[in-house]
Amino acid sequence: MSVRKRFAKVDWPVFLLVLGLCGVGLMNIFSGTRVLTSSGIPLYSKQIVWILLGVGVFLLLCFMGGGLIEEWAPHLFLAAVAILLVVLLTGKIRGGAQRWLSIGFFNVQPSEFAKIALVLALARYFSGRYTYEGIGFRDLLPALGITLVPFLLVALQPDLGTAGVFLIILAAMMMIACLRLRVFLLVGAAGAALVPCLWFVMKDYQKQRVLTFLDPGRDPLGAGYHVIQSKIAVGSGGIFGKGYLQGTQGSLRFLPEQHTDFAFAIFSEEWGFAGSVVLLLLFLALIYRMFYLASRSQDRFASFACGGIASYFLAHIVINIAMVCGLFPVVGIPLPFVSYGGSSMLTNMISLGILANLSRTRFTFQPGE
Amino acid sequence: MKERIRKREQDPWITSRIRILQGIALTLFFLLLGRLYWLQVVKYEEFRTLSENNRIRIRVVRAPRGVILDRRGRPIAETQPSFDLIVTPVDVKAIEGELQLLSEVLEFDAGEIREKIIRGQDANPYRSITIARDLQFEQVSVIEFNREALPGFSVQVEAKRSYPLGPEFAHVLGYVGEVSEQELAAGRGRRLSLGDIVGKYGLEKARDDVLRGENGGRQVEVDAAGRDKRLVTEVPPRTGATVQTTLDADIQKVAHDAMAKKAGAAIAMNPKTGDILAFVSAPAFNPNSFSQGIRKNEWAALVANPRTPLQNKGLQGTYAPGSTVKPFLALTALETGVQKPNAQVLCEGSFPLGNRTFRCWKEKGHGMVDMYKAIVQSCDVYFYTLGLKLDPDQVASLERGAGLGVLTGVDLPGEKSGLIPDTYWKQEVMKGRWHSYESVLLGIGQGAIHVTPLGMLASYGAIATGGQVMRPRLVSRMVHMDGTAEDLPPVVERNLSWDPANVAIIRRALAGVVNDYGTGGAARLPGIEVGGKTGTAQIVTVKGKMIKSEDLPYDIRDHAWFVGFAPVPDPEICVVVMVEHGGHGGSAAAPVVKAMMEEYFRLKQFDGKGGGG
Repeated sequence: MSVRKRFAKVDWPVFLLVLGLCGVGLMNIFSGTRVLTSSGIPLYSKQIVWILLGVGVFLLLCFMGGGLIEEWAPHLFLAAVAILLVVLLTGKIRGGAQRWLSIGFFNVQPSEFAKIALVLALARYFSGRYTYEGIGFRDLLPALGITLVPFLLVALQPDLGTAGVFLIILAAMMMIACLRLRVFLLVGAAGAALVPCLWFVMKDYQKQRVLTFLDPGRDPLGAGYHVIQSKIAVGSGGIFGKGYLQGTQGSLRFLPEQHTDFAFAIFSEEWGFAGSVVLLLLFLALIYRMFYLASRSQDRFASFACGGIASYFLAHIVINIAMVCGLFPVVGIPLPFVSYGGSSMLTNMISLGILANLSRTRFTFQPGE
Repeated sequence: MKERIRKREQDPWITSRIRILQGIALTLFFLLLGRLYWLQVVKYEEFRTLSENNRIRIRVVRAPRGVILDRRGRPIAETQPSFDLIVTPVDVKAIEGELQLLSEVLEFDAGEIREKIIRGQDANPYRSITIARDLQFEQVSVIEFNREALPGFSVQVEAKRSYPLGPEFAHVLGYVGEVSEQELAAGRGRRLSLGDIVGKYGLEKARDDVLRGENGGRQVEVDAAGRDKRLVTEVPPRTGATVQTTLDADIQKVAHDAMAKKAGAAIAMNPKTGDILAFVSAPAFNPNSFSQGIRKNEWAALVANPRTPLQNKGLQGTYAPGSTVKPFLALTALETGVQKPNAQVLCEGSFPLGNRTFRCWKEKGHGMVDMYKAIVQSCDVYFYTLGLKLDPDQVASLERGAGLGVLTGVDLPGEKSGLIPDTYWKQEVMKGRWHSYESVLLGIGQGAIHVTPLGMLASYGAIATGGQVMRPRLVSRMVHMDGTAEDLPPVVERNLSWDPANVAIIRRALAGVVNDYGTGGAARLPGIEVGGKTGTAQIVTVKGKMIKSEDLPYDIRDHAWFVGFAPVPDPEICVVVMVEHGGHGGSAAAPVVKAMMEEYFRLKQFDGKGGGG
């Protein structure tokens, strides 16, 4: 296949949407961090480096040979589990949790990469078990096991937000993989019954966050304060926003982690409801395109993997924005492409690279290839 | 690559399931849009007002620490109001100029405070930080007068730790200070925040988690100058737990006064419960100086003092026990059957071993001595011969069982264990063989052996109880923040299987030390039989003739010990006194013990049934 043909088969809508979102994110990080008195390289230029690296990784993965991803899925998964173990044992304590691993001059958050590994492992597993009658309970158990290992490792860090995303990935992929309805409901009910048990394993500060979410007045000085300030930022944006670089909540630094987890608050304060709608539409288009690619595929592994990737993007976007709007407890889940962060940027780009690769090589049935 | 078998037609099932997920995605996005519409369009006015008048400031209201009581319920650590200077970083207009102005009123380190304000600015610029504590009235008035020139700064009344008895309880209660960065980093989950006051030393540190309350806070609306205008919300602080100690302020005072001008430790304990009645380490410091942040020169003076006032000599100082170990050798001899109590040993004033000669403190010698007389007169030659006869490992094991050379487990931080040498230690640590002269020296508590005064006290407590070693304790009851009371029962550390008859022989001899013209006559009390033992721990050996310790320069003078209990038949108080470079135990330490016991029994008269509390 010629290079031209290769390029023609890349899913350009996804790539262009991502570039657009990265641009929005970059602009927003500039606005959100301009008042931070940090020395050294400004965060937006770091983010540019991350974006360039990410695009590189995207293209690399995209043009990689077909089939390799499926073949590597189990190894990737084992590697991810091993790294999570290392983090748990030796991880640097940052932000109250052992989530980071120092590699040379920068820190990575392996739990981000574990999400991809989980999606691929589950896709590989389900594609081998797929039947028209739907997957039964017995065939589901190994999938539960595959999910629980990284889930527990991340939950112990403790990073319940990310661990929760693992469960969402599992649920979405169970659905795509045509689990029998009865089994799906049964597992769902059992999972729901286990939620209260979580309360007992949560750390004090995590309980605090949940309680604060239920009653923000409870702790107006701590966690509740952040949520209230974040809501003020969003609400004061109005219909058309205060204008770029005109946000006051952000520039006065009312907001915690305004360039990472609360980036959306800065955005919607400055661009208002109109801007938020546009951003949400961009995200929705991306998600729709990803699901569309998943359904169009005639290859089950590709279908499941793309569906899984789409679901975890969906989970990130919805949880993050809901958190900023005070609809969800404060958890450390970034907004894809908009929040500052290298691990998150690379993971997102890797996921999309994989998606693009699968769509390029596996989607249409080509006799004689 | 091995080609896997796969179905190559589009699967309507999968497609329809993905449709469902797309539907879910659409629903969720509509929910989010709805929420954004609610916040940004419907509630816009409300949030705009809140954001424009962002004059909401957070004033941290620090929780007062819990009160510490003595065993009669008298406060020995409490809180007092203090005028503190706070700053809200966001309101500071010109940091350099304002700091310059403040430095004319206050004595402070401008660099340190600048850094604090900058750090607070990064964390949450709307949250107040305390930068100076316990201002004088004049300082407060100057600052208030210059309000307009000091935007961002204001004076707030906060609770300050105060110790009504000053240095008396310095080492046992410890002191408090502002939380350090390391403590903040290590203390996640301990509800610590920047600027909090935490226990740094002593009981304040050991029980910090209960003594420290829960900070409250106020959200206030301020005017353009940063002055409070309106209270928005308030979360009241919660005072820390009340801690009831076993300490007795009266005995403590007597001990503190008796140790004035001395260096060393004096501790009194009820041997039956392990209750510490008094705990003095001298010289002391004034813990009140630390509460508002100690001044640099005061700190430097404490650190430079050769008598180490910041060290708790009761549990961190280790010293050769000298003759105070003799009863344990005697007890080992009785328990192992190596020597009968009535066996006679001739003391001629010295004891030759190989080419060395070990002297008795009494140059002329004691003549024929049995065990009773050897303890009463503290005859060295008797214990040289006994030390040589006994297996050093058996001696070490008995002494450790009693509490010497091991941690007592007292609820104070930083306790040291000291060391009881034995053949294993000699081989593993010193890489050498056990020599017979070491056994001889062991007989009089010299050589490698070193113990803490608290360990010494615990071991005599074991003799007093006949083998029950109690864990020394300071806290008997805590009333927590939520109002629940928690009683802490005495803890038996070990039960030793000593023959009561043997313990009785030792106790009789210890009573003789005080009452039968022995070395401890200075501890005698009228009407109450006191038992105890003197000890003089040599620092250096002066070759040739005997020199009176008092004639030596201070820092090579011997350490003086006295440890004892009363009343001998059923001891209820056990006291140890160790005076660094005090000379003879009988003259330097025994009178302090006497004073403390005297006070104890004097108080007991008023208590009716005794015990007190």
